[in-house]
Amino acid sequence: MTPRELFQHLTRHHRLRSAISAEHGRLYRLAWSWCHDRGLAEDLAQETLTRALEQLDVLRDEARLRLWITTIMVNLYRDQFRRQRPHDPLDEHLLSEQESPEQDLNRNQLIKRTRQALAALSPDQRQIVSLIDLAEFSYADAAAILDIPVGTVMSRLARARGRLRQQLEQDGIQRSQVVPLRRVT
Amino acid sequence: MRPPSIDPLELHAYVDGELTSEQQAELLDALRDDSALAKQACQLQRLKQQLQIAYRDPPPPSRRRHTPRRHWRQRVAILLLLLSSGLTGWLLHPPIYTDRLVLLDADGRGQQPAVADQNETRIVFHLTNPDQLVAAELLTDIEQLLTTYRARGSRLRVEVVSHGGGMDLLRQRLSRHQQRIAQLANDYPNLTFVACRNTIDRLRVEQGIELQLIPQAFITESGVSHVVTRQRQGWAYIRV
Repeated sequence: MTPRELFQHLTRHHRLRSAISAEHGRLYRLAWSWCHDRGLAEDLAQETLTRALEQLDVLRDEARLRLWITTIMVNLYRDQFRRQRPHDPLDEHLLSEQESPEQDLNRNQLIKRTRQALAALSPDQRQIVSLIDLAEFSYADAAAILDIPVGTVMSRLARARGRLRQQLEQDGIQRSQVVPLRRVT
Repeated sequence: MRPPSIDPLELHAYVDGELTSEQQAELLDALRDDSALAKQACQLQRLKQQLQIAYRDPPPPSRRRHTPRRHWRQRVAILLLLLSSGLTGWLLHPPIYTDRLVLLDADGRGQQPAVADQNETRIVFHLTNPDQLVAAELLTDIEQLLTTYRARGSRLRVEVVSHGGGMDLLRQRLSRHQQRIAQLANDYPNLTFVACRNTIDRLRVEQGIELQLIPQAFITESGVSHVVTRQRQGWAYIRV
């Protein structure tokens, strides 16, 4: 390795490390949508970062860093994390936008119901929805990450969204059937 | 005339921005003529937005960790060490390693690694960062360099000078990389680990810590003077 090559090697590593470290928030958010557990999600995100840092030389095309690092996380989740059960309640840390209490309540209820509906999907369905809707990957990228054909991405996504809508509608019907308590004077 | 039937998957592709402009135009025509289809498209769009709102702000990472694999537990120990060393915001604010590597020439100028003579490259790494994850990366880099040079039959000398917070790497009680350092030092006689005596003395006086170093560590009087000397001698200097 000539001094120039050495310099290029080190600066490339430096640049990639910065880019990988900056992915932490995105990875954690994605991991949390898969497992709905803060401890597990953080483990998964940190383990992914560590693996990526260890395998820097495997990455040929820096433009595909996001895709590459998400693939590492998908594989880790499948191999090590998927069987672990979440411990956190889903209504933990809901949003508060400091609007009126009623608006806060409505918003938080919507968030909680949406999270519950996603959590009720199968892991494969949950993952495809999160990759497309939350991480905003293209179908082609999601197919590469999950190592499945684009056609499977499309059909799995359609089924997952159908199930999500069903869950949310069912929840809406159950809620509308609850008789509100009335103050008796 | 009834509009051509639309594949339901195409509706999803439309919401996800996956259609070409021609396909999109065709679908928009169909949506204009079919209110049920238009309603479906709206519902899909709404579902997508609802999900994005629900997951925009997940709860912050927990310090509780429960992955049972042994290698992971070792990493947990690193994290706990970071937390106990006062970097409490670490989990909430992931480490950003900007400006971590500073490469200077022999005169402390420019950005080129120095070559001591025609036949040997000499590099001094100046470690001041207590983050053991950073130290792990450094060891990986160094191993890669040593392996590359050995494979090519090129001569290389590497020194790691630990100073300040970077001293943790060489402390018996704190270093998580003792085994790796022992292995590297054994495999590569051209690699040296150097500890700063000023840091050792300061820890004793200020915090009453009698510091025990790992057996592979050599001691220099001042870490800073040592790296300055090395730069004057023509070594490449990399601050970590």
